[in-house]
Amino acid sequence: MEALLEKIAYCVEFGKINKNAPYPPDMKGQEGADELTKQAIEQGIGANDILGKGLIKGMEKVGIKFRENKVFVPQVLMSAKAMSTAMEHLKPFFQSGDVKRKGIFIIGTVAGDLHDIGKNLVSMMIEGNGWEVVDLGTDVKTDKFIEMIKERSASFVGLSALLTTTMVNMEKTVREIKAQIPGINVLIGGAPVNDEFRTQIGADFYSPDPQGAVEYLNKYVT
Amino acid sequence: MELRKAGLKIKNFDNIKNWIASVIGAGLRSAMPVLTYPGLSFTGGKVRDIVTRSEVQYKCIKVLAEKYPAVARVMAMDLSVEAEAFGAHIDFNDDEIPSIKERLIHDSLMINKLEVPGIGEARTSEFLKAAKLAAENISDKPVFGCMIGPFSLAGRLFDISEMMILTLMDPENSHILIEKCTRFLKEYALAFKKCGLEGIFIAEPAAGLLSAGMCGEFSSAFVREIVDYVQDDGFMVVLHNCGNTGELVESMALTGAKGLHFGNAVDMMEILSKAPSDRLVFGNIDPVGIIKNSRPDRIKSEVKNLLKKTAGYSNFVLSSGCDIPYGTPEENIDAFFEALEEYNMK
Repeated sequence: MEALLEKIAYCVEFGKINKNAPYPPDMKGQEGADELTKQAIEQGIGANDILGKGLIKGMEKVGIKFRENKVFVPQVLMSAKAMSTAMEHLKPFFQSGDVKRKGIFIIGTVAGDLHDIGKNLVSMMIEGNGWEVVDLGTDVKTDKFIEMIKERSASFVGLSALLTTTMVNMEKTVREIKAQIPGINVLIGGAPVNDEFRTQIGADFYSPDPQGAVEYLNKYVT
Repeated sequence: MELRKAGLKIKNFDNIKNWIASVIGAGLRSAMPVLTYPGLSFTGGKVRDIVTRSEVQYKCIKVLAEKYPAVARVMAMDLSVEAEAFGAHIDFNDDEIPSIKERLIHDSLMINKLEVPGIGEARTSEFLKAAKLAAENISDKPVFGCMIGPFSLAGRLFDISEMMILTLMDPENSHILIEKCTRFLKEYALAFKKCGLEGIFIAEPAAGLLSAGMCGEFSSAFVREIVDYVQDDGFMVVLHNCGNTGELVESMALTGAKGLHFGNAVDMMEILSKAPSDRLVFGNIDPVGIIKNSRPDRIKSEVKNLLKKTAGYSNFVLSSGCDIPYGTPEENIDAFFEALEEYNMK
């Protein structure tokens, strides 16, 4: 059992999606996260173990390597793809309640901003660490954030911005969300954003990298 | 303060090769911030006007050239122009640089069918007209055109996340797409040269997301083609990369670009220790967190600290880490240049 879970973690860490995937070249023709997760379920390994000791373990390693500049964005995206492919097999266990996520995280790029790579990276890393992520996409109006936070009873929301003009929208969005949902925890990120700006606009957390957001959220997991 | 009088007296350069030598040998520190959009506070108008009307862009460059003693000027950075020439749909905004609405190409079939546009398509003609006006009317310092790099352009056409994945899953088609982008960019850079400019600033932000090896394969190898095509004693390439690691320096230097420009995520001392001493190395005051959003005293302190740290490198030119945005207070830009002047007066 442990060996199979380690293999799953390895496939996620190195972005091996399935047997047909040509990447990584040194694993060509080998089974990937897709097939191995299916095998694990067939062997009766618990979904919680597959998630925690396989998929999440692999993504955690990628997150740390990314922070340390040992892997880069393309490799992280491949890991996320491997993870999401494997997660398809676990969907029934989430739906039945056999496996529980760590919490719900709402994310989106703020109004007026169409950029998404930073948001996508954060979204993938957080999902890959066992959270349910509701990705509202780009150019998200404040009302939409508020509506979704209320609908899903979420405790955490992440706002992304790449443009200096949409940083202004980020401030308005944070203030409006905080006014309507006082207990909410707002995370912000994006190339022009920094911790000083976070303080200025009243958000709760800023991280220059996705792993920082993961670690912040995981502090709230009991 | 009469900033215009405070700068370096590097004038009447006969060619860019000698200009580079004069900057390195000046004995004083110099600056070339990426600065165009804040010119609107002097000329009036909106960001939309700069990116769609040549005369507005030219006036912004001109007014900033008259006010600030930059050692060279960079034209407006709008990294949607080239993608639009290929047919991408653009989202324009009064106060913000345009964005790409959606990806133009979705698969390898579309990559192979993609046609390389001619120069003058879409807004490239307006940017070239602005370049011509700048070349004709700004003669005391070099003026550099500005365009996107080949990997970043491929990302704009194919979607940047998808492009990253394509490099690993299908390197062959990645190369085909980047090669088509390069073919266009070579001619676009040449068109800037024919307008009479002294160089081209190539912004390659997406390459900063790659490892050094991948940067070499998917960006630098193609930038090298552009450099070989246009760079000579009268025209230089400045290559900008805003990645967060000094590991990219070697790959960038291999392009042959005579200027290397870095974003604010890197330590300039690490960069300078790795960069060839015969290249100009530009960087890297945070354009938003510091230049736009800080107070003048903080800007002065950051600039002086950077100048002090880099004092041992005569090939270093003070710059912003990227484009200084529209809406940056005039006093903040004043502070940037005042700090330079105060440092040089010491």
